[in-house]
Amino acid sequence: MVETGHFALVLAFALSLVQILIPLVGARTGNQRLMAVGGPVTVTGFALTALSFAALASAYAGSDFSVASVWENSHSLQPMIYKITGTWGNHEGSMLLWVLILTFFGALVAVFGNNLPATLKANVLAVQGMIGAAFFLFILATSNPFIRLNPAPIEGRDLNPVLQDLGLAIHPPMLYLGYVGFSICFSFSVAALIEGRIDASWARWVRPWTLVAWMFLTGGIAMGSYWAYYELGWGGFWFWDPVENASFMPWLAGTALLHSAIVMEKRSALKIWTLLLAILTFSLSLLGTFLVRSGVLTSVHAFATDPARGVFILCILTLFIGGSLTLFALRASTLTAGGLFHPISREGALVLNNLFLTTATATVLVGTLYPLALEALTGGKISVGAPFFDLTFGPLMLPLLAIVPFGPLLAWKRGDVIAASQRLMAAFAVAIAAMLVTGLFIDGASVFAALGVGLAVWLVAGALTDLAVKSGVGSVVPSVMLRRFIGLPRSVFGTALAHLGLGLTLLGIVGTLCFGTEKILTMKPGETVELSGHSVHFEGLFPQKGPNFTEDRGRFVLISNGIADGEITSAKRFYPVRQTVTTESGIRTLGLSQLYLSLGDENKDGSVVVRLWWKPLVTLIWGGGLVMMAGAAMSLLDRRLRIGAPAKRRKPAAALASPT
Amino acid sequence: MLFWVIAAILTLGASLAVLLPLAGGTKGASPAGDHDLEVYRDQLSELDRDTARGLIQPGEAEEARAEIGRRILRLGAVARSGSTNSTSSRGTRLLAGVAVLAVPLLSWGLYGILGSPDLPSQPLAERLAKNPADSSVDELVARAEAHLAANPSDGKGWDVLAPIYLRLQRFPDAVTAYRNAIRLDGDSAVRQAGLGEAIASAAGGVISADAQNAFEAALKLDPANAKANFYLAVGLAQEGRKAEAVAAWQKMLGQLSPDSPWRNAVQQALAEAGEPAVAADTPANGPDAQQMDAAQQMSPQDRQAMIETMVAGLDDKLKQNPRDEEGWMRLIRSYVVLGKADQARDALGRAVAAFGADSEQAKKFTAFAASLGVTATE
Repeated sequence: MVETGHFALVLAFALSLVQILIPLVGARTGNQRLMAVGGPVTVTGFALTALSFAALASAYAGSDFSVASVWENSHSLQPMIYKITGTWGNHEGSMLLWVLILTFFGALVAVFGNNLPATLKANVLAVQGMIGAAFFLFILATSNPFIRLNPAPIEGRDLNPVLQDLGLAIHPPMLYLGYVGFSICFSFSVAALIEGRIDASWARWVRPWTLVAWMFLTGGIAMGSYWAYYELGWGGFWFWDPVENASFMPWLAGTALLHSAIVMEKRSALKIWTLLLAILTFSLSLLGTFLVRSGVLTSVHAFATDPARGVFILCILTLFIGGSLTLFALRASTLTAGGLFHPISREGALVLNNLFLTTATATVLVGTLYPLALEALTGGKISVGAPFFDLTFGPLMLPLLAIVPFGPLLAWKRGDVIAASQRLMAAFAVAIAAMLVTGLFIDGASVFAALGVGLAVWLVAGALTDLAVKSGVGSVVPSVMLRRFIGLPRSVFGTALAHLGLGLTLLGIVGTLCFGTEKILTMKPGETVELSGHSVHFEGLFPQKGPNFTEDRGRFVLISNGIADGEITSAKRFYPVRQTVTTESGIRTLGLSQLYLSLGDENKDGSVVVRLWWKPLVTLIWGGGLVMMAGAAMSLLDRRLRIGAPAKRRKPAAALASPT
Repeated sequence: MLFWVIAAILTLGASLAVLLPLAGGTKGASPAGDHDLEVYRDQLSELDRDTARGLIQPGEAEEARAEIGRRILRLGAVARSGSTNSTSSRGTRLLAGVAVLAVPLLSWGLYGILGSPDLPSQPLAERLAKNPADSSVDELVARAEAHLAANPSDGKGWDVLAPIYLRLQRFPDAVTAYRNAIRLDGDSAVRQAGLGEAIASAAGGVISADAQNAFEAALKLDPANAKANFYLAVGLAQEGRKAEAVAAWQKMLGQLSPDSPWRNAVQQALAEAGEPAVAADTPANGPDAQQMDAAQQMSPQDRQAMIETMVAGLDDKLKQNPRDEEGWMRLIRSYVVLGKADQARDALGRAVAAFGADSEQAKKFTAFAASLGVTATE
């Protein structure tokens, strides 16, 4: 079974080469038969990659230590869920997951791309094949997960204990779905550049893929942030860690792409810019993969270090980013620009959004790469952290967030800011009220807190205003209003939900940063501590044994109004195989806020260091992410995204008859 | 075998994925323009919906409609100029052939370099379930571990596993196993000595206080325990009390039965300490501890001289008392080690003569000398 997987992987690589060559030549010469090869080859390549991945996963599930990667990253005593997630909890397996998703998306284009012009489809599949071939070769040459050991060891070295968590089951697959989803946008862009023209159906295809990729990337980043929050035990949700930035940059660029793709799809404007953004977004995804996989960074995420791999990924990076940008430079001038619009209009607002987002992306890029460049040039090691980003990224985001509610209320081609402002008066009033309440009653000392809360409420209220205005609140009778509301395009709900989610995330961040409290103290069993109106009683440390670890579990009881209100436990776990200690934090969610505590070192007299945090509204940070995902999903359901194929099937006669 | 069948089927499938579309007829695919027209039509109808909803002003909507109309017109022009074909020229047929061949050739070639086709999958459960007679030591140990994980109070199980751990060099596991065996099945000299050895080995051979305690506990139960005696002497040597260590070893050599496996270890230890292996209760015919200490402080030349003096002394002793089987062998070896092949041969000749050429001992000497590269006649 293992060797079958290995063979399938090699075969998939061979097929990916065919997938590049034949459709490309076919599209060039206009040969239908050659172009037709692309589809079946792509689908077969996906099937083989899936078989290969299944073989590796079954080796992990069955603890087959004759496979080197299983031996290095698994243990027979691990619970089954971590045996399986361990498949991608290491460099080799995660790269295989990467190409699995890549070939899966390629296969989706092959299967559902019948409504695409044949040459465009052939070129897209060929470019997907190029990315696939590069990564297959990378895996086979430097990161082969199927290297065997003979004789097989009888026991493995265990998965990194930090990764033995449910987060590993969700975070990397989602993140990769996001990263790799942008590869389709990239392939479409490069295909358009190869052809030298942008078909009208181009935007119709790029926008849903951008939405899908953006949705998963949002979820992946939110999940990763929550995972770091509870697993690392110091209660932070975002560290401006280079690995986090690596996923945040494609997200920012992807957000810009999402918005410019709307303009392009609806108005055929901003074509060339959208194309460039699509290339940049995937380039940043590749860069993210490079930063994490090459071991060029040393941080909590970087669990792969091997210079040979780094150089290989750098070559891939240069080839794809350099190649596509060169192609862009050569061909962009031959592409025709699209529709016209006035500066004050929906299009104009989206351009402004793009300007802010790309600048913000550049800021994060500088903050991430500058320390690396400095280290490479001078050998000095500096870390660029929160202060840098607070001063650069923050000021860029504030005006952008302030104008977000205006965008959806402006009309296409020529908008009216004053009319939009009048409609937003109510939302503005609510935001001012929230600011005043915060400033006067909760925390008068911090201007930032009042501003932050005001801005967050402004975003939420603005999103709701958009829905209200479009369903005619105040101008029509309630029954008509309800009918209009239900009849609104799904994409309107998508926009509103995404902007609302952004407001919620901001509210969570401001709440946690401004109103949170923390305490670090040593506690003896029987002691009680007060934090922001919550009493926590420490019962003591109790040793326990897990499947592949032992732990000292600290039991705490939350006391509300003098009565016990449930137990919170935090533990120090020791994993003997890796000789590693991890901290399991204890979290109790109260409404939207959380009480977070984590155990420190134990003293000789039986007392123990305990860190407690009260984190108001913290769940909104990730809840907002989920709402944004829901917005993207809603947008995907919009009827115009389904138009291509079904419409063509409904009236093929008309479609065939009309042009000639 | 099964693997090759599967590999062949997969290759066939992959090749067909390339071949079939090439061989098959093409459906009359619509020109690119049709797809665009479909999209433009939808844009027009969407524009109407947006106008109805007030998302765009009527004037701008008219403009937009005109823009879309212009695109549709341009489309007609492109569609007339572009054309596609489905005929195969020789070039494309050649390319198709290469592609179809490349899949099996490349995959089998590459797999031949990277793969291990003969290695079957070895899921752990399967390895542990097969007949114990076919299992490797590792697998048997894993099985025993699984048994002990389920029945951690099986003292006998720990007792059996502990020395195996030692031999597999899994020293920390051996320490745990010996401790469990002692806790559950009681003290014994063998277990205590084993525990000491495990602790010492885990520490890279250093006889720590813990290890020493264990060895001493073993000696309380059985003063003649060879392992404990041996390692305690090693401990003395590590502390720099070489003379005491040598004395202890030599005492052991006197007490050990001739077939004891410890004899070798003791002799080796003595050799490493620069001592000929001689039992303490036989008259000392090698350098004593003082001579030893002296040898340690000498320059290499002086040491060589002292060794030669000692060998000469042995030679003299054998001339007076030739019926010393061990002595002759030691002498022959010493000459070989000193690089004096002639004298070694001479010694061999004298030894054979002393016992008679046909004697059992003579044959033994000859064989022994041959193993060192010395033959009787030249």
